Amino acid sequence: MRKQSYWGYIFTLPFIINVLVFLLFPIAFSAYISFTQYDLFNAPKWVGLDNWINVLKKEEFWISMRNVFYFALVFVPLQSGIAFIVAFMLNQAIRAKAMFRLFYFLPVVTPWLAGGVVWSWMFNYQYGVFNWFLSLVNIDPVRWLDSKSWVVVITSIALVNVWKGLGQSMIIILAGMQNVPKEVLEASQIDGASGWKQLTRIVFPMVTPMVYMVMILSTISAFHAFDVFLGLFGSIQTGIPERNMIPNLLVYRDSFLLFKMGPASAMAWLLFFVILVITLFQRYFEKKWVHYD
Amino acid sequence: MTKNTPWPLKLLIYALLLAGAFVMIFPFIWMISTSLKTVGAISQMPPKLIPDPIDFSNYTTAWTKVNFGKYTFNSFFIVVFDMIGSLFSCAVVAFGLALFNFKGRGLIFMVMLATLMIPGQVTMIPTYFIWKQFHALDTYYPLIVPSFLAGAFGIFLLHQYMKALPKELYESAVIDGCSPPGIFARIYLPLCKPALAALGVFTFMGAWNNTLGPLIYLQTKELYTLPLGLLYLKSENVNQALLMAGAVITTLPVVIVYLFAQKHFVQGIASTGMKG
Repeated sequence: MRKQSYWGYIFTLPFIINVLVFLLFPIAFSAYISFTQYDLFNAPKWVGLDNWINVLKKEEFWISMRNVFYFALVFVPLQSGIAFIVAFMLNQAIRAKAMFRLFYFLPVVTPWLAGGVVWSWMFNYQYGVFNWFLSLVNIDPVRWLDSKSWVVVITSIALVNVWKGLGQSMIIILAGMQNVPKEVLEASQIDGASGWKQLTRIVFPMVTPMVYMVMILSTISAFHAFDVFLGLFGSIQTGIPERNMIPNLLVYRDSFLLFKMGPASAMAWLLFFVILVITLFQRYFEKKWVHYD
Repeated sequence: MTKNTPWPLKLLIYALLLAGAFVMIFPFIWMISTSLKTVGAISQMPPKLIPDPIDFSNYTTAWTKVNFGKYTFNSFFIVVFDMIGSLFSCAVVAFGLALFNFKGRGLIFMVMLATLMIPGQVTMIPTYFIWKQFHALDTYYPLIVPSFLAGAFGIFLLHQYMKALPKELYESAVIDGCSPPGIFARIYLPLCKPALAALGVFTFMGAWNNTLGPLIYLQTKELYTLPLGLLYLKSENVNQALLMAGAVITTLPVVIVYLFAQKHFVQGIASTGMKG
């Protein structure tokens, strides 16, 4: 480590500017305008707590919160669980591992918009391939994305999200599994442990840090979901009825389509606090099931 | 893992993996299949997997009439600048953090963590305000300039790598009379190639797939990137074959890059748990 400390400042200058301009200023400014009436063009007008109270009073905010919680509740366990199973299977002595890994990973690198438009086409009520599959087994067609019931719509979207994110979770868990020492497994086999016992008593405990990380990351990504709605519905204004909205979409709508920056900022902060509380909550329970060492 | 998995179990594993893989790639197959259909064949029931006749006209329409050729160029344009900016600035900052001890160094690491946690929605409106003040709305500046200011993820990745290089490299170069910028450019940058490659792939994917940035900042249709062009097509309710041709054009470059750079990408995700 050098003592010519001025070089340290010179080299890190780009990041220091980044933080000042694109982090500290935005945080302060966003907090400020959440207490104002502001449309980007006229000077902000101080309104105190009005935006926060109005947001909390509006039914659409609570509907969007309900939706995003349900979305996360379907998406996170499903994605983490399937990722664990796939990683476990790919960690066996099987052929064509690289090919399988490629197939499971392809959706991760695919642009959300491209994935979204093809899924919305497959979900199409009249000509979609899913309803055609259902018709083969004599099941009535489902209105996947334009159902009157928000549960059906949000569940469908969560499934698309699993398709998109599964590969990433799987790779992280697989990396953890590959670190499980072979000797431990061989020793347990000699001691007569079955495959199932190995899975539940050795492999799972040893990859719990990875499973935990996957759950934290996918929870955060669930609450940040945006592109998936854009890709599936095309237009936020005309494509998504209120009963299927999530907070992130409301923030975008209020700010960049309606120019109500005050309520949008208040809502963005509320969403941030919700994510923070959930992450802390997950951390609290981490000690109960995640094993390090 | 275990070499002697019993064969019925192995059969089950293959069956499950194959079924899963089919679900994962079916959307791609369907995307390509639909993109090759004539307008009449799209709504045919039962749907055909292999279109008859095969019709390439959707691609030519997308490329020329809907301007996807231009959008492809725009996407590449932004991605190239983002890659240059992000690789260079992250390497510079990582070098500073890895080799110099200065007041506030610890604080920078804490702030790096914070930038990864503060969600985009909170900073989105003020950032838009900044670019508006600079009269840079509806240009590529908001999409390119930030990448020249070193993102936390890239710094972290390169810092881990540089920290592991032997300190003697630096010491002996100083004795030979090399200045810190010279050491950075001539010794550290070439040695960091593997880490730079990983970051390059991440940056490519992140910039190529970015939707929200272009959506907020670009209004003029000539400036659209591929995801934005696709969103526009989708909102215009064009026929599905044309839409799917657009989706294929949007997906293909990033898949090709992934195939060539698979190793770096997967290692990066496995070691950091994150994506660009």
